[in-house]
Amino acid sequence: MTAQTESPAPVRSLLPRLRIWPRAGSGNGMTIVGMVIVLCFAIATIGVLIWPPAEAYTGNLMERWKAPLEDGSVLGTDQLGRSLLWRVAAGMPWSLGIAFTAAVIAMTLGTAAGLLAAWSPGPIRRIVQHLVDTVIAFPSLVLAVTVIALLGRGFWPLAATLGLATWPIAARVVYAEAMSISKRDYVMAARLAGVGSTTILITHVLPALRPTLLVMFAFTFADMLIAESALSFLGIGVPLTAPSWGNMLSESREYLVEAPQQMLVPATAIVLAVVAFNLIGDGVAAKARSRSRAVE
Amino acid sequence: MNVWHTIRGVLSKRGLELAILLFAISTLLFFLLRLSGDPAAVLAGEEADPDLVALIRQRYGLDDPLIVQYVSYVLSILTLDFGESLRGGQEALILVLQRLASTLLLAFLALIVTAAIAVPLGAWLGVRPDAKTRKWVNGIVFIFQGIPGYIVGLLLIQLFVVELRWLTSIGNQGVTSWILPSLTLASFLAPKMVRVVAANVSEAMREDYIRTARANGASTAQVLWRHALPNALLGATALIGTQFAFLMSGSLITEWIFAWPGFGLLLVQSVERLDFPVVQAAVFVIAGLVFVVNAGTDVVFRLIDPRLRRQQA
Amino acid sequence: MADTALLQIEDLKIGFPARDGGEVTIVDGVSLSVNHGEIVGLVGESGSGKSMLALASMGLVPRPGRITAGSVKLLGEETVGLPDRRMQDLRGGTIGMVFQDPMTGLNPVRTIGSLLSESVRRHQRVSRDRALEIAEAALTSVGIPAAHERLSVYPHQLSGGLRQRAMIALALVNDPAVIIADEPTTALDTTIQAQILDLLRAKLVAAGGILITHDLGVAAEICDRLAVIYHGRLVETGPTADLLAAPRHPYTEGLLRAIPRFDRHRPRLVPIPGQPPAPSMDRGACSFRPRCDYAMDACAKAPALTPDGAGRSVACWAPIGAPVLERRA
Repeated sequence: MTAQTESPAPVRSLLPRLRIWPRAGSGNGMTIVGMVIVLCFAIATIGVLIWPPAEAYTGNLMERWKAPLEDGSVLGTDQLGRSLLWRVAAGMPWSLGIAFTAAVIAMTLGTAAGLLAAWSPGPIRRIVQHLVDTVIAFPSLVLAVTVIALLGRGFWPLAATLGLATWPIAARVVYAEAMSISKRDYVMAARLAGVGSTTILITHVLPALRPTLLVMFAFTFADMLIAESALSFLGIGVPLTAPSWGNMLSESREYLVEAPQQMLVPATAIVLAVVAFNLIGDGVAAKARSRSRAVE
Repeated sequence: MNVWHTIRGVLSKRGLELAILLFAISTLLFFLLRLSGDPAAVLAGEEADPDLVALIRQRYGLDDPLIVQYVSYVLSILTLDFGESLRGGQEALILVLQRLASTLLLAFLALIVTAAIAVPLGAWLGVRPDAKTRKWVNGIVFIFQGIPGYIVGLLLIQLFVVELRWLTSIGNQGVTSWILPSLTLASFLAPKMVRVVAANVSEAMREDYIRTARANGASTAQVLWRHALPNALLGATALIGTQFAFLMSGSLITEWIFAWPGFGLLLVQSVERLDFPVVQAAVFVIAGLVFVVNAGTDVVFRLIDPRLRRQQA
Repeated sequence: MADTALLQIEDLKIGFPARDGGEVTIVDGVSLSVNHGEIVGLVGESGSGKSMLALASMGLVPRPGRITAGSVKLLGEETVGLPDRRMQDLRGGTIGMVFQDPMTGLNPVRTIGSLLSESVRRHQRVSRDRALEIAEAALTSVGIPAAHERLSVYPHQLSGGLRQRAMIALALVNDPAVIIADEPTTALDTTIQAQILDLLRAKLVAAGGILITHDLGVAAEICDRLAVIYHGRLVETGPTADLLAAPRHPYTEGLLRAIPRFDRHRPRLVPIPGQPPAPSMDRGACSFRPRCDYAMDACAKAPALTPDGAGRSVACWAPIGAPVLERRA
């Protein structure tokens, strides 16, 4: 997110800027793919919240370790004969729900702290910056593991801990972006015209921040999903009986020889969701970049 | 003179951060421990007999007023006294420090693997803006960035241990057992590094000084190695410092997957056993290590980048 | 005039792929030659293709652009389509280039000495120590004091003027036969500009050179001949004094009128109306037509650059100063 300084070299200004990084998600096509995947996950999550699938929790030992597409099972079964398809679905409210909640917490705190730092006099700004630098410098997973050891497992402790460990990253980005926006000509013009700083914040800075926040949210969501699964994978995330994707992966370690699908199914779900959110974030970022370039 | 000046500058800034960090963590741990119920019960572990709980209560002064407890707690932290492990009774700090070499070995190997992947691949991606294959490689890097390290670890085990039976996946048993853990840990960092190196190289390649170099007859290889990469890698080196914290998070998972005897594994095990003194000691040692690495790369970075060197002078 | 020019550009065309799949021509059929001891000024607005012409002479047209037609001969050797290796030998050895911005044009993480000696060792078989001696001599020759100490200094540690001198030293270190200077004074303070121009005149005259500038005043100071480029085509060429005294192309006249002059009373500065054309604009008509005071029906067809037999050429249906009868033709 660092701003690139450009020199007004004659040759360069002549040409349409070569894309620095033709992203995997370049073009709207990949962004739409990401959005479709996310939408499917969202609908499925709401679906299993309304009709919890019993198949995810009860199984038949006679039907354990079916391969995908064997005897009418879609994605195969686990060591207790439970359907992996239904377990992955039932895990969505856990995995995606915690990631979503944690991302909301992190983004809310981070945006507030970033704007506070950008809009405060020196001393407060320095305190916030130090706090942010300090928390970022510490391995967030180590922090989360330790705190959860004390708070106990569960949806809310996990979401809160992950959110609290992650907000400084959002704060740093929001701060940098808010500072650069506040130096733009139209903000300066508004200030010279005597518009109050709160009004400037609401009418100029927040709207200009929107693409940044959207991009940050997509990436944070992906990060939180990875972190939630990691903690569950370590056995210190959600309750061990919950079919969260991390828990499923953790269980699968014992049966890599007998049933690799037990690992591959939740792994695919995680990767699919993470890539989808990365695609959206990348796409929005590319669009915002090309728009700001057009303005220049 | 200049060197010492630089080091002092970095240490004073980072030192303050470390002090704040350790103070914040210790305070957090202190209050969380007391918020979460009877600390003596937590410290004694599950199903501990009442005598032990009473002993611990007395040993840690848990009947004293909260403020007295807090002061004596901070004092003991300041003297690096984290108490003894509740399993085995060894000094917690010693127990953690014994694991230091293993964790550092793993981190070091992972950094080498990361550099071996990221520098050539990143340079190639950055230099060839119009190669068709570049689009594909880009896409693959993008997807790899979406694969969490623990899944990479499991896939590696599935392939090399379960299917091919080439390697072992447990512990540190010599060089062959290093391969999978270091690959796994590298997978946390490598995709990001590839992208950073590629973006830096591609940015450097469009700089005016590259045109100057070419105008003086530099070959494509010279332009890349002697002009673009030195600039691009300076940025990437700075990233290693800031990404070390992330590497330690990855190390936690990697060590757990491969039963690698570092302090990540110790931390997870201690959390599972509610061996609180060890948890605390591990957190402090990791914080200190992150501090040392960050400050170290900061100093090195300032010393090798002429632009920053001037700002110092 | 010498028999073979040091640099001979003939009917050169440079194109860039356009968004719609076609090709945008940025330089269209330019011919230009530089003889020994001669400084040719290439004058035009930004976007006129003048820098691209310079880069083409170096074989450095940035991708995805390419030379689509024409020839560039350096000391008689055709360089269009020359293998990379040979072209690299020529660049910095036979032809040197000074760029506009000395702030960004010198690698920030390399010392001045290492940049210069790298170029020396690229083109001459000499030892490391000898290369540094040559580098030091080059720095001294461009007027950098304490040259020996300056070898181990990084670009940012020099002032803007010294940095541009270092850039010139870098272009000259192998005594090239042709030197191209692309807006060499644009990024400098006015007080430094004059010093650098003096230096460039001395250095360019010793070989042969092209000075690229948007500033007719700068070109007037040191150039023997001028070539005015507009929308990728030369519109007027000729000896500097003649061309400035009696411009024939309306665009040249417009450029002259837009220069602030202090030696002479002038009613006012007259800017050229309108905008320079986009490179993609159609070239069927005279490109200057929309901005030209003298435009007429004939201008719907682009005029060719026509020599007058006395060393001047102009691309205009109705050159200024020509007899009225001829203007109507």
